Amino acid sequence: MPLSRRSAVGVTTLAVVALAWVLLTGVSGLVSPGRFPTPADTWAAGIQAMMRGYGDATLVVHVLQSLKLVALGFLASIAVGVPLGLLMGWSKTAEAVLNPVFMLLRPIPPLAWIPLAILWLGLGDGAKILVIFFAAFVPSVINTQVGVKTIERPVIEAARMLGTPRWRFVREVLVPGASPMIFTGLRLSLQASWTTLVAAELVGALAGLGHMLNLAQQDLYPGMILVGMVCVAIFGALTTALLGAVERRALAWKRTRGGAA
Amino acid sequence: MSSIRFDAVGKSFGGGVLTLQDINLDVADKEFVAIVGPSGCGKTTCLRMAAGFDFPTSGRVLVGNSEVTKPGPDRAVVFQQFALFPWKTVTENIELGLRNKSVARDERKARVADAVAMIGLGGYENSYPHQLSGGMQQRVAIARAYVLDPQVLLMDEPFGALDAQTRVVMQEELVRLARLNPRTVLFITHGVEEAVYLADRVAIMTRRPGRIKEIVDVKSVRIAERWDSHSRIEDVMDLESFVHLRTHIWKSLREEKAGADH
Ligand SMILES: Nc1ncnc2c1ncn2[C@@H]1O[C@H](COP(=O)(O)OP(=O)(O)OP(=O)(O)O)[C@@H](O)[C@H]1O
Ligand SMILES: [Mg+2]
Repeated sequence: MPLSRRSAVGVTTLAVVALAWVLLTGVSGLVSPGRFPTPADTWAAGIQAMMRGYGDATLVVHVLQSLKLVALGFLASIAVGVPLGLLMGWSKTAEAVLNPVFMLLRPIPPLAWIPLAILWLGLGDGAKILVIFFAAFVPSVINTQVGVKTIERPVIEAARMLGTPRWRFVREVLVPGASPMIFTGLRLSLQASWTTLVAAELVGALAGLGHMLNLAQQDLYPGMILVGMVCVAIFGALTTALLGAVERRALAWKRTRGGAA
Repeated sequence: MSSIRFDAVGKSFGGGVLTLQDINLDVADKEFVAIVGPSGCGKTTCLRMAAGFDFPTSGRVLVGNSEVTKPGPDRAVVFQQFALFPWKTVTENIELGLRNKSVARDERKARVADAVAMIGLGGYENSYPHQLSGGMQQRVAIARAYVLDPQVLLMDEPFGALDAQTRVVMQEELVRLARLNPRTVLFITHGVEEAVYLADRVAIMTRRPGRIKEIVDVKSVRIAERWDSHSRIEDVMDLESFVHLRTHIWKSLREEKAGADH
C-alpha cells in the first residue's frame, strides 16, 4: 500500500475513534463522565496541567522527569545487556555460567524488584531507574545472544581467515552480524521501559507521569487520568519512532534488492 | 617455502563414519593442484583442514613445515558459499584483510582498485552483497582472497556460480596470474576441463570414504605440447593432448559415479 494511502487510513481510524468518543460520552451521555471523561473535560484537564500544573508540577516537568527515567533505565540496560548478550552468544563457557542465573531471574516480574530497589537506593530516581533497568535488560541480552548465533559460520570463518584482530572482529563482524536481532531486543527493551515506568513512579515520586496518574486516581479526576495516559502513549510512540529511525540507518545494508546500487 | 602436505590423513565427524581415509597428497611450493571427485567425497573437508578450520582425526596436515593449527591470512580461502560480510560494501569486503595486515591507506586503496578492476566490478564498489548476483558475489570473494597476495590459495569451486563467459575470463586470468606470480594453490572443482586447464596436477578422489584414487600429471604434458603458446582457452581445449587427459580423468570419475548408483 502506498504511504499516503496508509497514512490516510490511519488518520481515518483515529477520526472514527474520536467521533465515537464524542458520541458516547458527550452527546448521547451513554457513558457517564465519572467513568470516562468527555473530550471537553480532558481538554480542560490538559490545559490545567500545562498552565497551572497538577501535583506540584506542570505537565512539561512531569513529562521531562518520565523521559529522563526511561532514557537512563533504557540506556543502562543496553550498555550492560548488549555486551553481555554478545559474550553469551559467542562463548559457550559464558553461556553455561550465566544461563542458569537468567533462568532464575527471568520469571520475576520487573515490578517485584521495586521493594528491593527502594531498600537499596531509597525513594529517589535511582530506585526507579533500577526497576526500569531490570525490565529492559532481559530482552536486550536474550536477543543479542540469539543474534550472535544467527551469524553464519562461514562468515565468521572468513573473518578469522583474514586475520581479523579481536576488537575489530567484535566491532565489524559480531555486532553488525547480530544487529538485526539486537534492534529487535532494543525495541522490546524500550517498550518494557515505558510499561514499567508508570508502576515505578507510583511509589514515592514527586513528579512524573506515573505520579500524575496516581494522584488523579486518588482525586477521582478522569480527565487528568486520560491526559496522563495520552502523554505516555505519545512519548512512547515518539521514542519508538526515534529508535526506528536509528535502526533504519544502522541496517541500511539489509534493505531489499533493487535499492540504490 | 609454502608447500601443503597431507600425511596419512583420516577424518571422521563425530559419529565415526569415515569421511576421509589415508589421504596422502603433496602440493609443492608454487604448485597448482586441483582436486576432483564425486559430491560429498570430502573435497571441502580437505581444504578446510589446510585452512585450519577442521582438523584430521588421524595423520597430519602441514603447510610449510609446520602443522596447521589455526586459520590465517597466509592461506587465503575462497569459500564455496562466498561467505561475504553482508554489512560491508564490495570495497570494504575486499579491504578488510589488508587493513588487518596494517597495509598503508594509499597502497590499500590502489590494491583494492586493482582487484575490483580484475573481477570486472567497476561501478559496484559501494554496493552491498545482496545487491549483487551470485556470480558477482563469487567474484568479490575471489578478489578478497587475491588481494592478500597470499603464499597459499585455497579455492573451493570458486567459479561454480559464474556464467560460462565470465568463467572463461576468470580462468584465463587465473592462468595469467599463476604464470606471472606462481603461488601454491589447492583448487577444488567439479569441472574436469577446468582442472586440466588450470592445474599442474589433478588429484581424483573416490566416493565415501574419500581416498586419493589417482594423481594425473598435467604439467609435463602442457610443457611438452606447448599449451602456453595458445592464449585462448578454447584453443587449448581443442588440443589432442588436452582431450586425451580430460577423457582419462572423465573415465576415472565415471567409475566412481557408477559405483554410487548401485
Ligand atoms: N561438520 C560436519 N559434520 C558432520 N559431517 C560433515 C561435516 N562436514 C562435512 N561432513 C560430511 O563429510 C562429507 C564430505 O563433505 P564435503 O563437504 O567435504 O564434501 P565435498 O566433496 O566438498 O562435496 P561437494 O562436492 O558436494 O561440495 C559429507 O558426507 C558430509 O556430510
Ligand atoms: Mg564441497
